[in-house]
Amino acid sequence: MSKVKITVDGRVIEADDGALLIEVLLANGVDIPHFCYHEALGPDGNCRMCMVKLQGAKRPQIACDTFVCDGMEVSLKDPEIRTTVQRILELELINHPIDCPTCDQAGECRLQDYYMEYGLYDSSFENYQKIHHAKHTDLGSNVMLDQERCVLCARCTRFTSNITKTNELGIIGRGDEAHVSTMPGKTLDNPYAMNIIDLCPVGALTSRDFRFARRVWFLGSAPSVCHGCDRGCNITIDHDRPKNGTETIYRFRPRKNERINGHFICDAGRLSYREHNENRQLQIIREGQSIGREEALEAFEQMIGSQKRIMILADANLYNEDLRAIKWYAKEIGALLFVPLESYRDESFGDDWLRSSMRAANARGVENMGINREVSGGYDIDVLINFNHPTPHMIAAGEFIEFQTHQSTNADLIFPLAMFSEYGGTLTNRDNITQDCMQAVNPSGMSLSAQEWVKLLPRRS
Amino acid sequence: MIRDVRIVSSRFGLANSHRLSTVLMRGAYDSLPIHLKRPPEQIVRAVDESGLRGKGGGGAPAGEKWKLMPRNSDTPSYLVVNCDESEPGTFKDREIITRDPHLLIEGMILTSYAIGANHAYIYIRGEYKSFELILRRAVDEAYEAGFLGRDIAGSGFDLDITIHRGGGAYICGEKSALLESLEGKRGHPRLKPKGKEPEWYFGAPALVNNVETIASVPYIVMNGARCYRQFGTAQSPGTLLFSLSGHIERPGIYEAEFGVSMMEYIERFGGGVKGKKKLKGVIPGGISTPILTAEEAARATLDYESLRTLGSSLGTGGMIVLSSEADMHGVLKNILGFYRHESCGQCTPCREGTSWSDQIASRMLRGEATMKDLDKLLELADTMNGKTICVFAPAVSGVILSIIDKFRDEFTERLRP
Amino acid sequence: MSFAFSPENLGKIEKLRSRYPSPKALTLPLLWLVQEQEGYIPGEAFDAIAEITTWSPMDIYKSASFYTMLRFEPAGKYHIKICRSLSCTLCGQAMLYRHLREKLGIKAGETTADGRFTIERVECLGSCGTAPAMQINDIYYEELNTLKLDTILENLP
Repeated sequence: MSKVKITVDGRVIEADDGALLIEVLLANGVDIPHFCYHEALGPDGNCRMCMVKLQGAKRPQIACDTFVCDGMEVSLKDPEIRTTVQRILELELINHPIDCPTCDQAGECRLQDYYMEYGLYDSSFENYQKIHHAKHTDLGSNVMLDQERCVLCARCTRFTSNITKTNELGIIGRGDEAHVSTMPGKTLDNPYAMNIIDLCPVGALTSRDFRFARRVWFLGSAPSVCHGCDRGCNITIDHDRPKNGTETIYRFRPRKNERINGHFICDAGRLSYREHNENRQLQIIREGQSIGREEALEAFEQMIGSQKRIMILADANLYNEDLRAIKWYAKEIGALLFVPLESYRDESFGDDWLRSSMRAANARGVENMGINREVSGGYDIDVLINFNHPTPHMIAAGEFIEFQTHQSTNADLIFPLAMFSEYGGTLTNRDNITQDCMQAVNPSGMSLSAQEWVKLLPRRS
Repeated sequence: MIRDVRIVSSRFGLANSHRLSTVLMRGAYDSLPIHLKRPPEQIVRAVDESGLRGKGGGGAPAGEKWKLMPRNSDTPSYLVVNCDESEPGTFKDREIITRDPHLLIEGMILTSYAIGANHAYIYIRGEYKSFELILRRAVDEAYEAGFLGRDIAGSGFDLDITIHRGGGAYICGEKSALLESLEGKRGHPRLKPKGKEPEWYFGAPALVNNVETIASVPYIVMNGARCYRQFGTAQSPGTLLFSLSGHIERPGIYEAEFGVSMMEYIERFGGGVKGKKKLKGVIPGGISTPILTAEEAARATLDYESLRTLGSSLGTGGMIVLSSEADMHGVLKNILGFYRHESCGQCTPCREGTSWSDQIASRMLRGEATMKDLDKLLELADTMNGKTICVFAPAVSGVILSIIDKFRDEFTERLRP
Repeated sequence: MSFAFSPENLGKIEKLRSRYPSPKALTLPLLWLVQEQEGYIPGEAFDAIAEITTWSPMDIYKSASFYTMLRFEPAGKYHIKICRSLSCTLCGQAMLYRHLREKLGIKAGETTADGRFTIERVECLGSCGTAPAMQINDIYYEELNTLKLDTILENLP
């Protein structure tokens, strides 16, 4: 496609001939107001917010229905455009309850942002009888609808009709009675439903899970990768450190990656943040008693002895750096190392979009490292050391040492293991793409990452 | 002096004019044996040269639309006749389908032949059920007589006509909304193409024309473009089924040439303002056209150019006459209530703008409004103009502005301080 | 509750299919068949229409809710639709409506307790030249006045 030059309020921008203007503007960091257009859903032309002045056009045009051509002169700062956008925004707001203090969207709401940007401070709706609509409707799948906050951009309905093709949502009725609805007696029910909460540019759709949990501006964020399966969907981890300094994680949100997950994640992955906060192993435990680190490492040394036959199991969700360290350690102490992958396979989970039936984030990393992926043949084992693999009991051993993130087994010696949100590392997804995960919060209790524990572990005497 | 010209209504006065047996003896379908053997391009050219303009309200030259239809294409083409007549003040298509449905069918056959369509639809508003039955019977008669179906009048040309009933939505009179509805969807107008192209029905080219436009085709085809141009003006050739309603002695439809004097028409056919009251204003072509004051009406002639010069539009030619009895607050509130009810709700300025302006009109009617409300109404009218997908909101805008502007004193008098 | 097209309507549907390039176009014709068969459109019918048209049930629901003549609840035996648009208003529809309201004891949008009458105020019926007008079910009554209205109501079976 040939390149053309356009000017936007005096700035020259190069673009593909015939490209959609709003996409060109957004790609070049031009802050153009819009509700209905979304990169993943395309234009719809209903909100009329992305008005621009085109040199030679009589009236304002919407950028989501304008295709660039060479020499096109575009203005967003033109006074007529600013007035137009301001007035349309005012129309979006007339039936809005203006309940920002109790709205979860506050802080990431386009209505709020544009209100500030377009200075609607002196607008008044006195004498206006608001059209009332249903509030607090539980649509299902953890999604709450407040119709009075809705701007009818149809992002949510386009998601269920064009992306998931599950068709649970539609705009019902006509004119000022139009509203978002499910079918009578039916609910929103698909494994990706909660994405509409992110798609919703305003506070009409909010997460029942995150409802009234935290004001979003108090949350800190770290980029990471979902560990729900080996797809490697990119996420943002939102946590509470900035405000309260606690290590609580409040939500996972999808982070755009065109190569992997686009703009979306599945609900199972989204809600898996809860595992970071619940039922965590915080202490070092020997025979039911909490002990200190030095004492534990001494006990570890005694247990592995000098002659014993040792097997190490490791979780296929661990970072490449963890696995490499464990592999090195296994060689050092002459232990057998296995990462059985069959335990992670769940055919009922996989689908033809994002969800993969291999529910281990780093299964490909395990493969690439040449680690044994199945335990074949009978092994006579004295000591089993498990780094959080979910099914250690498949191995019979005299003694059992466990590094675990959650309270689960009753091993002879238990070390608390950090979750992926608590330190950084890399994962290799099913398509062999290796991605970075950043630390979001500090390790809980006495937990350390697998690689750090390995550094401390004694060799055989 | 208004000449008596009947192109579309020539058979309206016959007893049982809706029956094939009646109209067969009066020229119905006479065009088929000759003209279905002509090259189709000649019919398109005749219509183009006749200057026939769309009679559904827009007034766009019909020939321009016809010429956009592809020739000898592999995909089918369709003719869609717009009988969704819902514009308040307009009731002419109803007269055609009940008083001379065979004229419409003949026009559809010629048009379909000209544009290469073998299937034509009549999208009729749901409220017209009882009129639809008359039209259906006419279609059945035409099939039985061999004017529809295979090998019409021995020409080798095939045509089917299907009548499609709407469900109650004014906006489906907008051609792209009509096609959406005909495709089984909500009647939302489509984003407009950037260049000239036909409309699309399930991805196939479609020509959408109003009932009266198509009913004018047999005359043009039979008599030629020049003959049609004897009537009307150079830019608005031919005739229109103008109609009168509101404060008028004899409401009804009366065909006339374009270009006749509005007041002469009102006097001659309508018998003047009801009760010999003083004329206050005329809404010239359905409520979506800006109102004229009595003084403007006196200067108006019934053609597109004259009404445009007066800042209004000829629309459907459905004149609503307002006498001194008319309360402009009531008129404005009534019209805005209609638009609020009929906005499809797709575009924000229209959905919220019609709703809000209807509320303001209510307050003004009740005498509760202030100057601030009036200013807001005018601002809303501006916001609704030219910022939406279709022309619904701009029409609302023009109506508000014209009524307030021309009867401003009446509105300001009732404002609270 | 379940919904099924009557055998007669199934025959009509087969004929309708051949009239359109896609079964999707059948949405409105089928919604009308349902309303004629049941007197309204029960929620169960969305699935039946979806199956024939190849739209999703939600698409059918969306469309049905767009068209104001389609009802999700039954109306009275005589559904009186009185025009409230401009020409009828200029010719006195408000008086007719008031008369009707007093006579039947119900407001627009309501149905009499005996299920005989429903009143609805509708937009333009295309009777501007014969205003004021109303419909009872699909039949037009025009050039009305209160006297004529009384006679019409009294003569209903």
